Amino acid sequence: MAVVENTQQSLGSRFAETPVQTSLELLGEMLKPFRKEEPPPPQPAMGFFTDTSICIGCKACEVACKQWNQLPATTPFWSGTSYDNTRGLGATTWRHVQFIEQIGRGPSAPATSPAPDGQRPNLPLLDRQIKEAQSNGTIPQTPPGTALPFFNSERWLMSSDVCKHCVNAPCHEACPTGAIIRTEFDTVYVQQDICNGCGYCTLACPFGVIARDDEGDRLAHKCTLCYDRLKDGLEPACAKACPTKSIQFGEVEVLKERARARVGELHARGVSEARLYGVDDNILDGGLNSFFLLLDRPEVYNLPENPPRPSLNVAPASFWTVVAASLLGLIGIILFRKE
Amino acid sequence: MQMPHIAGKRAGEWLSPLFTAISTAPSTQDTFEQLARLTTGYTPNPEQEQQEPGYYDYPVLKKPFWDWEIIWYFFMGGLAAGCYIIATIAALFGSEQDRVVRRTGYYLSLLALLPCPALLIKDLGRPERFLNMLRIYKFRSPMSVGVWGLLSFSLFSGLTAVIQAARDGLLGRWWGARLLASLPQKLLAIPGGFASAFLGGYTGVLLTATSIPLWSRSKLLGGIFITSAVSTSSALISLVLRLVGAPAKTLHKLERLEWVAMLVEMVGLLAFLRQSGRAARPLVGTGPNEHGHTFWRFMFGGGLVLPWLLQTSALLGRKNKKNTTGGLLISLLVLVGGYFLRYCIIKAGHSSSKDARTTLWNARK
Repeated sequence: MAVVENTQQSLGSRFAETPVQTSLELLGEMLKPFRKEEPPPPQPAMGFFTDTSICIGCKACEVACKQWNQLPATTPFWSGTSYDNTRGLGATTWRHVQFIEQIGRGPSAPATSPAPDGQRPNLPLLDRQIKEAQSNGTIPQTPPGTALPFFNSERWLMSSDVCKHCVNAPCHEACPTGAIIRTEFDTVYVQQDICNGCGYCTLACPFGVIARDDEGDRLAHKCTLCYDRLKDGLEPACAKACPTKSIQFGEVEVLKERARARVGELHARGVSEARLYGVDDNILDGGLNSFFLLLDRPEVYNLPENPPRPSLNVAPASFWTVVAASLLGLIGIILFRKE
Repeated sequence: MQMPHIAGKRAGEWLSPLFTAISTAPSTQDTFEQLARLTTGYTPNPEQEQQEPGYYDYPVLKKPFWDWEIIWYFFMGGLAAGCYIIATIAALFGSEQDRVVRRTGYYLSLLALLPCPALLIKDLGRPERFLNMLRIYKFRSPMSVGVWGLLSFSLFSGLTAVIQAARDGLLGRWWGARLLASLPQKLLAIPGGFASAFLGGYTGVLLTATSIPLWSRSKLLGGIFITSAVSTSSALISLVLRLVGAPAKTLHKLERLEWVAMLVEMVGLLAFLRQSGRAARPLVGTGPNEHGHTFWRFMFGGGLVLPWLLQTSALLGRKNKKNTTGGLLISLLVLVGGYFLRYCIIKAGHSSSKDARTTLWNARK
């Protein structure tokens, strides 16, 4: 409220000359959203590669995002399910770290099956022990209770979820005001001065990312891919803060190459369940500019495997509407014509 | 449960299937559950659903905050559209007697339309920015197309009703009223009719173009909404005409149109449920967060099948006989059913958005 009053005061003092001038200026202010601006020159598409295989769940990305974007803290809540008390992305949470505890999965795949290409997993640290075991037939033992997690079938998956900046973003397609745009970095961005909080984008997003801030300004919010930092040549706050390079920022094509190389490396080491999400799977008919390396099925991370694209429903739904309308119109004409 | 059993022994063999049916359906809960399984073709299997991967059942999607404003907008918008369509058909193709349908239809259309923009603007996060909707026209966004459609329909609906009022002498006898009365109402009604058909159906398309499984899996919601618009509107017009007294022939036409619309609506809804399958559970199921009780009682049963059966018997049985009370009852039931169609679809959409497992199932290849 204070901000609004201030603007009104400054408007009043600035345009106090004549009533005509004042009203003209005010009209100009009101019509501002209707003006079409020249878009900045296009840049290479920028995105995130979130490699969940090296995420340690420190939540530095969540904190860095909140700090840089000055997002308020959410009401503390104890979920009782895991260390994840945030539970999902929202209007004021644009990075969200998930904790997936997989207990009692049975024998782990890498321990029992060879790597897909027939090679032994590349574990240079264990070369001496392996040679020893091969020469004298004894398996080296680890002291009781110190089994390394690599030999344990139980695992703890962590993943930092974020807006996918889809190539065909359903929120962007749904937005009726044109508030949601693609920036020169090919990211999806909500212009806060245009959005009127209709909320249709929140229904369109198949990942449940974009949300309306009903406790705050009642407008739609989501990850901006730190548009302001990108403009100044900086990397997004979460990528900057990530201590393990689980969150990598860069040109989408470069990152995709890196992601393919990384998943190949993991496969070579026997982590056969590693997979990419949003790179070569053509999700939403174009893939994602913010993609992930996962260690299990996407659903385990609450990610839809192959979400339908909402805008593709318009044509069939309209077709059936026209069919129904024509049918009833025709029957109506026949009924009213017949005497 | 004792009664039918004892009576069954006494009444003889021929009644026993009926009693078996009653005794095997001991409560409405079970009946509705059976109906839900039958119509969707999906039997819930909690054990198997628990095996599906997920993340602590936290919702994948955001919950829609569309509530009573949008329910009433869908209902009133449907009435505005349907009344306009029926009035236009009566004006262009009807007899002299049917002029009363045109008059009532155009007035009711404008009346039903009046609260619509207010409801929509109130629903915005920032109502004072509603004009931002008009800064662009976006063919891909059903919301944007809908706003422009509503705007153009308002123009036609308002103009047509004002011309009607001028012709009915409600605006006095000054030159302005004479000018309005001389405007070509029928010519305006042709594009207006298309705009009204758009308004009646786009709301369903709007819901279909989302990620909510219940709304988007089947593509028939638009067709169902426009059909319901016609059935509720013919119910509303015939209700008003019955109260003010109208020619029996005209009422008969409306009743038959209502009967056909209800039949199409039934077929459409059943196809919708079958196509949606598991995604339709929040609408028809009887579990927690499922709206089957309301749907089967007030929408499908009380608001569609019952009035359709009553209408069928009235149309078959009656020959030039006036049954005002029965007709009023049918109209009221259809209107209530039309409201509960929107109510159940919106409310069940909330439940659908919260169901993570069905959302993930809906997105599987």
